[in-house]
Amino acid sequence: MHEPITDYDKVVRNCSCSYCGNNCDDITYLIKDNNIVGVRHACRLGASKIINDNDQRLLNPMVRNSEGILEETSWDYALELTAQLLHDSIRPVLYGWGETSVEAIKKGCQIAQATGSVIDNQSTICHGATIQAFQKVGHPVTTLGEVKNRADVIIYIGTNPMDDHPRHLTRYTTFPEGFFRPNGRDDRTLITIDPKYTNTAKVSDEWIQFNPNEDYSLINALRVILSGGELNTNEIAGVDKDTLYKLVETMKNTENGVIFFGLGLTQTLTKQRSVDILIQLVEDLNRYSKWSMLPMRGFFNVNGFNIAMTSETGYPYGVDFARGYPRYMIGETTTIDLLNRREPDFFLAVAADPGIQFPGYSLKHLASIPTVQIDTHWGPYTELSDIVLPSTRVGVETAGTGYRMDSIPIYMKKVIDKPENCHSDEWILTQLYNRIINLKEAG
Amino acid sequence: MKTITIKTKKLTQIPIEFDNILPEELYDKPKDQIDNTIIYHGNKEEVLSTYYDVSVSGIASSPDKCLIHLIGDYSHVKYIGSHLSCGLIIVDSDVDLHVGSEMSGGHIIVNGNAESYAGREMSGGLLEIIGNTKELCGCAYMGQWQGMTGGKIIIYGNAGKQLGESMAGGEIIVKGDCDYLPGIHMSNGYIQIDGDVTQWPAGQMKNGELVINGHIEQTLQGFRKIEAVINPYIHGEYHIGRYNHYIGDESARGKGSVWIKE
Amino acid sequence: MEYILRNGVVYDPTNKVNGECMDILIKNGKIVEDVSSKAEVIDVKGKLVMPGGVDSHSHIAGPKLSVGRLYRPEDIRAGIKPKSENAVEGFEAGFSLPTCPTTGYRYTRMGYTTVTEAAVPPLEAKHTHEEINSIPNLDIPTLTLFGNNWFMLKYVKDNNLDDLTVFISKWLKLAKGYGIKIVNPCGSEAWGWGKNVTGLDDPEEHWNVTGREVIRSLCMVNEKLGLPHSIHVHTNDLGNPGNYETTLETYDCVKDIKKNKHVDRDQVIHMTHQQFHAYKGTSWRDVTSGAPELIDYINKSKHMTFDVGQLTFDETTTMTADAPNEFDLYKLTGLKWANKDIEVETASGLIPEIYSKRAPVSAFQWAIGLEFFMGIDDPWKMVLTTDSPNAGPFIRYPKIISWLMSNSKLMDMATNEVHPWALNRTSLGCYDKEYTWYDIAIITRGAPAKILGLTDRGHLGVGAKADISVYDINVDEFDPTRKSNAKVVEDKLLSSKLTIKDGEILHKDGSITKLVNSSHVWSNVKGLEEKEDALIKRIKPEFNKYYTIKYENYGVPDHYIEPETRIDVDCEGL
Repeated sequence: MHEPITDYDKVVRNCSCSYCGNNCDDITYLIKDNNIVGVRHACRLGASKIINDNDQRLLNPMVRNSEGILEETSWDYALELTAQLLHDSIRPVLYGWGETSVEAIKKGCQIAQATGSVIDNQSTICHGATIQAFQKVGHPVTTLGEVKNRADVIIYIGTNPMDDHPRHLTRYTTFPEGFFRPNGRDDRTLITIDPKYTNTAKVSDEWIQFNPNEDYSLINALRVILSGGELNTNEIAGVDKDTLYKLVETMKNTENGVIFFGLGLTQTLTKQRSVDILIQLVEDLNRYSKWSMLPMRGFFNVNGFNIAMTSETGYPYGVDFARGYPRYMIGETTTIDLLNRREPDFFLAVAADPGIQFPGYSLKHLASIPTVQIDTHWGPYTELSDIVLPSTRVGVETAGTGYRMDSIPIYMKKVIDKPENCHSDEWILTQLYNRIINLKEAG
Repeated sequence: MKTITIKTKKLTQIPIEFDNILPEELYDKPKDQIDNTIIYHGNKEEVLSTYYDVSVSGIASSPDKCLIHLIGDYSHVKYIGSHLSCGLIIVDSDVDLHVGSEMSGGHIIVNGNAESYAGREMSGGLLEIIGNTKELCGCAYMGQWQGMTGGKIIIYGNAGKQLGESMAGGEIIVKGDCDYLPGIHMSNGYIQIDGDVTQWPAGQMKNGELVINGHIEQTLQGFRKIEAVINPYIHGEYHIGRYNHYIGDESARGKGSVWIKE
Repeated sequence: MEYILRNGVVYDPTNKVNGECMDILIKNGKIVEDVSSKAEVIDVKGKLVMPGGVDSHSHIAGPKLSVGRLYRPEDIRAGIKPKSENAVEGFEAGFSLPTCPTTGYRYTRMGYTTVTEAAVPPLEAKHTHEEINSIPNLDIPTLTLFGNNWFMLKYVKDNNLDDLTVFISKWLKLAKGYGIKIVNPCGSEAWGWGKNVTGLDDPEEHWNVTGREVIRSLCMVNEKLGLPHSIHVHTNDLGNPGNYETTLETYDCVKDIKKNKHVDRDQVIHMTHQQFHAYKGTSWRDVTSGAPELIDYINKSKHMTFDVGQLTFDETTTMTADAPNEFDLYKLTGLKWANKDIEVETASGLIPEIYSKRAPVSAFQWAIGLEFFMGIDDPWKMVLTTDSPNAGPFIRYPKIISWLMSNSKLMDMATNEVHPWALNRTSLGCYDKEYTWYDIAIITRGAPAKILGLTDRGHLGVGAKADISVYDINVDEFDPTRKSNAKVVEDKLLSSKLTIKDGEILHKDGSITKLVNSSHVWSNVKGLEEKEDALIKRIKPEFNKYYTIKYENYGVPDHYIEPETRIDVDCEGL
C-alpha cells in the first residue's frame, strides 16, 4: 500500500493530464520545491507520467559526433545544424506532435510550408484509418458528456479502456451518474466486443468474442440482420448467430447508445473498411434509436493535430508541402509508407518516439538518414537521433491547448518551472523557423 | 506520328513526379523544350534532362498522334499519365503510384508492375498493366463518393486489395488473382476477375456487376444467391460455364450483381 | 497613416449618400473631417466606393468547420490554389470549407471587413477563437448557442428570467460571445433521443418547454441586458414543406416585447436564412413557396429583420446546430452524414449537398431566396447571405448581386437555365425589380451593421471605422442591368480595387497587400458581476456533475482573443 503524501507545500487544482485522449482536467498536483511530489485523481498511467523523476530526462542539446556518440552542445549550434540539414533536404518528414500543444503544432506547420516537408502525426499508425472511414461514409460522433448524461447502452469494440484509458469508464461513460442516468452503472448496459477477454470485458455485462481479422464480415452480418435479412450460416466470425440477433435487438431498443472503438478495429486486416462499415451500422441504427460513436484516441493531443492541420491546411494528417501547397494521399504522404518506400532524406520527430512506435522495416531507413529528436525524455529514438533538442512537458512545465478525443479543447496550465536548459516545443520550433527563413533569404 | 522516347539517365531513390509528361503538353514541342519540361523531385523542381535522355522522331499535328515511350527504370516515378486525355504512353518498366490517375482518354501500356492507385478516378481511355498492381486500383480520392467513372483497366497479372473501390462506371478486367474487397462501395460499372479472390467481394456494393471466374471461399452475408445460370450473358458477352448469381449488398440496401463461377 | 480617397462615387446609405462624387479622409483608422498635408492621395475617380462589407451570418470558424474539413478532403482539394510568387498571402485550400487563412483572403478580396460567425457552442468556444486567430483581416463577432442549453431550459421552465439574464450575461463572458443564437429551440435537445420537435408549441419531452417559450424568454433577456444585437433565430422546422407557418408564428411571437431603449437597432428578433423556412405544402411533391406570406408580414412589421440564405447552385456543405434536420437530409440524399452532439448545450450536423440547376428542389429554393430580395419593400430589414456554406459559399455573393442588379439576367436564368419549379412553384416571375448600387450597399453594409448593432461600421460618416471597399467599376459609365454585364459585376466585386480596414490597405488591384490579425468582437455586460458570481457559486455543483470538464477550465482565457473589440454593455440591473 502507498502511504498518503503529506510532504508538500503547494496544491494546484484542475490541472489537465497530459497522457491519454481522456485529457482528464480534474487533476490536483502536489508540489514541493518546484517538483510534483504527488497527484490526485489521476489514473496510474497519468500519475506516473506527471510525477516524472528526471532520471531519463533530456537536459541539454546534443549532437552525435564522428564516433557516433551523442555529445552535449550549445542550443545555437544544435539549432543551426538542424536548420541547415532541414533546409538542404528534398524529402523531409516532420513527424510526431501527439504530445505537444496546438500552439507548437501550428509552428510546425509553418516550418513544413517553408521547407516543403511532409508533416504527419501518429494518426498514420493509429486512427488514420478511422479518419479515412469518416471521409468515406460519415462522422456520427458525440461528446463524452452526452454519454455520461444519456447513454444506456455502451459498446467497446477492439479497445480496452480499462488498461489504456483507465478513467474512461469511471469518469465519462459507464460508472458516473448522469442527468438521465441517476444510478450510473446500474442504468447502463455495457458490452465488449473483442477477440480477447480484456479487463474491460471483465467489467462488462456481456462479452462477445469474435475471430481476429473478421470484423468486416461480423459488422456486415449485423447490418444484414438490422435491415431485416436472414443469415445463412449459424456462425459469423466465430460468433453464434443467436448472439448477433440478440445484440441487434438490444441496439434497436436503446434510448441512447454509443460505440467506442480502438486500434483493435483500425489495425486489423481490413483497416479503414472495418470502421467504414461500423459507421454505416451506426447510421442505420439511427433510423431506430439514437446512436453515436467515438474513436478512442491515444495521445492527449493526437486529435488536436488533426484539428489544427485542418484549420491551417485543410487536411487532417499526412500533409505534403513538396509543391508549396498541401497535398494529401494516404499511402503516399503518410509516414510509414514514406519510410517503407525509402523516400525521406531527413526526419524530425517532435514529442513522439518512432523507435517504439514504428515497425522495424521502417526504422531501418531512419538509421540511414539525418534524424532529429525534439522531446523530453531519453527513448529508443534518441539512440537513432543525430541531433537531440530537449523540450518541456505540456500541461506541467508549459501551457498550451490540447483537444480531447471528442474534440473538446482544454487549455493546459503551466504548473512548475522547466529544467533550466530545456525549452518548450513552441520556442524550439520558432527558433528553427526563424533560422530556416534566414537560410532561405540567404539563398 | 511523333515518338518521344525518354530514357533513364540517372536513378533516384526519392521519386520523381511525371504529371507534366503528357502528349497534350509535348506533342508540338521540339526536343530542347521537352528537355526543359518541369518534373518534380521531392520538394525541388528539376528539368527532365537532368535525369532523362530525350529523343524525338517524327511529327504530330495533334496530341493523339503522339507516343511517349518511357525506357529504363520507372519504378520510382509517380503520376505517369496522370490526367492523360489522348495519345499513347508506353512504359517498359515497373511504375510507381498513380499511373493513369484521373485520365480521361488515351492509352497507357505498362510493361511491368504498377504500384497502388493505378487508374484512380479514371473517366475514360484505356490503361493496360502487363504485370501486377497493388491496392486501390481505379479507386476514389479520399472522401469522394465516386471513383472510376469510365474507361477501361486491364490487369494481366494480379490486383491488390479494394480493386475498383467506389467504382461508378467503366470496366476493370483482372486476368490474375485479386486480394480482398474488390468492388467495395461500387455503385456502377463492371469488374471481371479471372483468378481467385481472397475474401469478401463487393462489400457495401450499391449497384454494378462483378464477375469472378476463379475460386472464392465465402461471400458476405449481405449477398443472397438468387439463381444459378449456365453461360450467362453479362456485360455484352456470354460467360461460358455455370455461374451462381448473387444480389447485394443487402446490408447497404444494394442491388448489385455478383456472378461466381462454380 | 493618413489617406485621401479622392473623387470616388460613394454609396453610404446610412448617411443617405447615394452615388455622390466625394473624397473620404482617413486618419488613425477612422474616417475624419481633416487630414494633414502628409496624407497620401489615392485617386479613385469615378470608381464605386462603399463601406467595408458586413456579413451578419456565416460559418467560418469552430468545430463544425473542423469536422467538415476533416471529413471532406475532396472539398479541400477542389479549392487548392498555390501561393503565387511574391504574394503576401499563402496558398488557398477548400471550396465550401476553406481553411482559416483562405477564408480571410477571400473575404478581403471581396471587400468585406466584418464577418459574424453564427454558431458557437460555449464548450468549444476556445476552438472557435483559436481558429479566428488563423483567419486574417476581419473583425469577427461570434454568436453563442443558447437555444438548447440545459440551464436555459431549466430557467425557462421555472419562468426564472432573472437568473436566466445573469446566466446569459456570464456565459457571453465565458464564451467571449457577441450575441444570443437560437437554433431549432428544443429540437436539438430532443435529438439527444433521436427525436425532434415540430413547430413552436411542441414541447420537448423531458423539459416540457416549447420553442416559443425559449424564443420569448431569450428575447426578453436580450432586451433586458440591452445587447447590441437582438436574438438571432434559426427557428424550428427548417427545410420542411409547410414550415412557413412556424416561421410566421416565430415572427409574431415576440411582437409585443419592448426593445431596450438604449440600443441602436430597430428589431427585437433577427430571423436567419429565411429561404429555408418559407415552404408551403405537405410534402416535396406539392410544395410551393410560402415566401409571399412571409414577405407580406415582414413588409407590415417593424420589430424584425432577417437574412436570406440565398442558394447558389454549387456542390457545398451544409452545417448547422439543427442536427435532426441534417439526419433528415441524410435520409433523402444518402451522402455522408456527420453529427456531433455536445453535452448540456446543443447538437450539430453536417452533410455535403449538391444544388443543381436541373434539380426541381434546388431551383425552387433558389427562386424563394430571390423572392425575398424582390418582394421586401424596405431593404434595411434584410441582409444578403448564403448562410455560407449552407446554401452556397460566400464567394458567391458577387454572383448574387449580379442577378439582383439585372432583371434580364435573372429572368434568363429562371426561364432557360434552371428547372421549371423556379417559376412554377414560386412568385419569382411576377417581379421585375432591379437593385441599384445604393440598395446593394444597404443589404451588404448598412443594414447588417445596423442589425448587428455595430454602429461604428457599415457607413462612412465621420468617426466611423475606416473600413472601406472600392471596386474597379466606373459607376457612371457602367450599366449593371445589362445581362451581358452580369459576369463583369461578379468579377469586379470578387476582387476589389481597394479593401481598407481600420485605415490600412489590405487589398489593392487584385493583390492582398497586408495581413493583420482578426479582432474578436464580444459583448461585455457590466453591472451584473456580483450576481454572476453568486449564480456560479450556486450552479457549480450541477455544472461539474453534468459537464465532463471542470468549470474552471470552461471559459475562454483572455489570450485566445487578442486582439479584441470589447463592446461594454451597461446593464441597468434586474
